[in-house]
Amino acid sequence: MSDHTPGNHNQTAQGAGPGTMKPGFHNTDGQGIAGHGSFFQATDLAREDAIKATDWVRKHVDRRTIDLGDRMDDAREHMYELEKDGQIIIHRIGEQHEPVTVKTLFGWDKQIPTKQLWHHKSCGQCGNIPGYPTSLLWLMNGFGFVPGKDYLDETDQTSCTAWNYHGSGIGNVESLAAVFLRNFHQAYVSGKQHGHELGHFFPLVHCGTSFGNYKEIRKYLIESAELREKVTKILGKLGRLVDGKLVIPEEIIHYSEWVHVMRNRIASELQTIDVSNIRTTAHVACHYYKMVHEDAIYDPDVLGGNRTAIITSTAKALGAQVIDYSTWYDCCGFGFRHIISEREFTRSFTMDRKIRVVREEANADVLLTNDTGCVTTMDKNQWIGKAHEQNFQVPIMAEVQFAALACGADPLKIVQLQWHASPCEDLVEKMGISWSEAKKHFQAYLKEVEAGNIEYLYNPELAYGGKV
Amino acid sequence: MQQIFDDIRGDFRYDHELNGCLNCGICTATCPSAQFYDYSPREIVQLLWTENVEQIYDAMQEKIWACAQCMTCAARCPFKNSPGGLVAIMREVAIKHEMQSAKDVLRPFGRVMLKLITTGNQLSPDMIQPDHFPDWGPNIQKVEGDLRILRKAIPVKTLQTVETAWEVSLKTSVEMYTIWEMTGVLKSLELMDENLFDVIEDFIDEKREDYEEWLEEQEEDDGA
Repeated sequence: MSDHTPGNHNQTAQGAGPGTMKPGFHNTDGQGIAGHGSFFQATDLAREDAIKATDWVRKHVDRRTIDLGDRMDDAREHMYELEKDGQIIIHRIGEQHEPVTVKTLFGWDKQIPTKQLWHHKSCGQCGNIPGYPTSLLWLMNGFGFVPGKDYLDETDQTSCTAWNYHGSGIGNVESLAAVFLRNFHQAYVSGKQHGHELGHFFPLVHCGTSFGNYKEIRKYLIESAELREKVTKILGKLGRLVDGKLVIPEEIIHYSEWVHVMRNRIASELQTIDVSNIRTTAHVACHYYKMVHEDAIYDPDVLGGNRTAIITSTAKALGAQVIDYSTWYDCCGFGFRHIISEREFTRSFTMDRKIRVVREEANADVLLTNDTGCVTTMDKNQWIGKAHEQNFQVPIMAEVQFAALACGADPLKIVQLQWHASPCEDLVEKMGISWSEAKKHFQAYLKEVEAGNIEYLYNPELAYGGKV
Repeated sequence: MQQIFDDIRGDFRYDHELNGCLNCGICTATCPSAQFYDYSPREIVQLLWTENVEQIYDAMQEKIWACAQCMTCAARCPFKNSPGGLVAIMREVAIKHEMQSAKDVLRPFGRVMLKLITTGNQLSPDMIQPDHFPDWGPNIQKVEGDLRILRKAIPVKTLQTVETAWEVSLKTSVEMYTIWEMTGVLKSLELMDENLFDVIEDFIDEKREDYEEWLEEQEEDDGA
């Protein structure tokens, strides 16, 4: 029987095949260990030391907590230097934001503010999946957050405009940087009209692409004095400098990171529905963890830290079953331009690589994701699959919508599942919520809306800069 | 041709995105577009790395538009290359040089560009209708009804819009137009599609006039 103890390879000459090392000798066939060449030598570690070394590798390297500080620049360090030089102002996260510290891919600390948040909306999400921002605001209200004090949703913001950049090339780094700085300057000063200090509200980015794009652009801004000079002129013309300086946020925060750090509070304080019978699968947006990947959250307690923690961590905290599948790493097939003008690519990729797999391998009740493009792609492309004998269907929604459902939110009035093309009805019923009753109530509510009796999650005047 | 390559190489992102290439192919192995098109992120890196000017030009005729910009290639590359980032540079250069491929590929994308450049939003509820996406099926909404009323039923005031994803204030739009002008976005658009540019320019002029009028009204109100 072979011994697979770490460090015990080739402990005896017997059984060592061609190219393997014989103990205490350089091998004689010139192949070295596993074909690496004869200059490779056995470490001759004692069994205990070999186990110790392997354990260290497993703990620090496999779990991605290795300290890569010498090899990888942390953009935030450079921001602090620029601020010291008087070149920029950092919009800092303070105690008032009640932050929670998490670990990123490289083991770096990242602070996630939980309060006083400026909702930076997503153009795809709000246009197509409105239940995802409403679920988020509904959960915040559930914690007793006061709109205008603990969060703000206003009209003075554009999208990041990165869809155009990635889809067409018409946008450019300078325009993206100016839009980024304009929007986040607004976040920095937005509290003033409510009588708060500068920096009261910290931006919470809803869209995965905005999140990735802003981090990428922040990096370029920090590294390029030329880019800073160019955009300072633009921001100056717009009246969006503070003391003549650019304002850059200390961290870029994605909404799913807020959900991640609040997951246990959501489960313990707000959850009303047992979801232990629900089989969940996760698809994390590429632009969340593949762009500026060093900043994505990893947690050794979530899938062993081998994948980014968000979404899965929330499903686990809610008590749902988490089922893995082989194509978890694949993109959804959105492609920016493709979903508009190369739809056969988008449809084929999402059906072949995602929907079919989570159905066949995981028999999932739902596929949870955290980005507008992913929800759209995987939700909308299931119907046409039938034309190609790909009759696989899975409900698609953001994890914040699933969390809101588990906390008793109305599936239509709050979670707004009526905009989804995928079969959400069965999932809702499986959670013990009557879809038909909810639909009946919602249709009656539409009559009220028509008569002008509209219900809001908060005072709508806040959206236009009104007082609390 | 040489100028095209020089423009790509001269972009300040170039050194960020191209560090060398081991030819390991992990970028192509994980690339969604490589499974469906004659496209390989490894080929893009190799062409630029070896400065193969003619083939770079050929790749810009079609291949670079296959990239889905997911950046899986960048996350995987042991050399910290970003083939997707290089494609982004190449697309911008293709536009700058008014390449026909860029014009052809971007024509069906015009509606999104119109929406973005004029409103700052990209996908609005009125675009996500069965007429525009017949392949999304007859049931892309689970409750029938007038779009305007369905949007009014969203309990967040900023989202009760039809022509934009959320309501964008006039001041915000006007600031964005200044950004487009100062960063050359409108110029790029003009090179690609002159008709679309004209439509957008008219729209921008109108919005700016609206904003001026609004400012005057505010001043009058303050004076009173």
